[in-house]
Amino acid sequence: MFTERFLRHRRGVHLDVDERARVEASISEIRTLPPRTNIVMAGDVLSQSMLLLEGFMSRYIDDRNGLRQLVAVHVPGDFVDLHAFPLKILDHDVATVTAATVAIVPHSALEVIARDMPALTRKLWFSTLIDAAIHRAWLFRLGRLDAVGRVAHFISETNVRLMSAGLSDGRRFALGLIQSDLAEICGLTNVHINRVLRQLREERLCVFRSSLVEILEPEKLAARGQFDPAYLYIDLQSAESPSSRQRPNP
Amino acid sequence: MTISSNTPQPQTEPGVASAEDGLVILDGPNGVAITMTPGAAQQTGASLISAAELAERQISDGESRTEE
Repeated sequence: MFTERFLRHRRGVHLDVDERARVEASISEIRTLPPRTNIVMAGDVLSQSMLLLEGFMSRYIDDRNGLRQLVAVHVPGDFVDLHAFPLKILDHDVATVTAATVAIVPHSALEVIARDMPALTRKLWFSTLIDAAIHRAWLFRLGRLDAVGRVAHFISETNVRLMSAGLSDGRRFALGLIQSDLAEICGLTNVHINRVLRQLREERLCVFRSSLVEILEPEKLAARGQFDPAYLYIDLQSAESPSSRQRPNP
Repeated sequence: MTISSNTPQPQTEPGVASAEDGLVILDGPNGVAITMTPGAAQQTGASLISAAELAERQISDGESRTEE
């Protein structure tokens, strides 16, 4: 089943069997995408959205000098550009970070869902509202946190999101990002990121090596980044159960 | 119901500068996190000292005007 990670372990929302079957039936194609590839460019007119099945993707905006700010990172289970359904034209670019597999959902199929299944439509809306909540947290991170706090917040957030997807055991996960990605996420230079990661390692909070993250002290790391997972609307108890986990890819 | 304003306030704690791989990293206060070349850091430092001296003069001028 392609949609098993979509809205998995979310508080206050659950796709029933019929709804999940409808989303599955709306998929027109499964596409494998190479890493570091632009998939959607700002200004493109879109007639489909992508549900991310495997891998990591990003949304980004480049400044006039070509320097990049990542404005979102997507993990498996995210409906990456569902907001393109009503917007049709995005204000940012979308790219793969790692190799990725996506399910293509034509907007025409979403139109039918919107017409026939109001409860499912609200749940799709819910998923874009979680995206908006994450954007607010990213604004807070860049506006209020120091360099170590920004990285600690991002790693803590990603850990919880991946726990929800069954891709983190709460302490260890494959991230698929390199240090320059972290720099573009946290608004820091590469040398600054390098120093922050060393500091987190020396403080025995977290180790980031070869895109594999090991969190040594989850609660202390979250405290360092002022991270409160409430905005992710994830039911942490069910996400933490052993049956919901998969082994992280090395 | 009143909503109190918690807009950012002037910092009383200094930032901490350090050198890393031939660059200067300035951390804090609060959300400040920048990396500069040594030349840019020296000029920023000189500009900061100059502005701090001017700000102190503004404070002392304000105090003497109040006494008049």
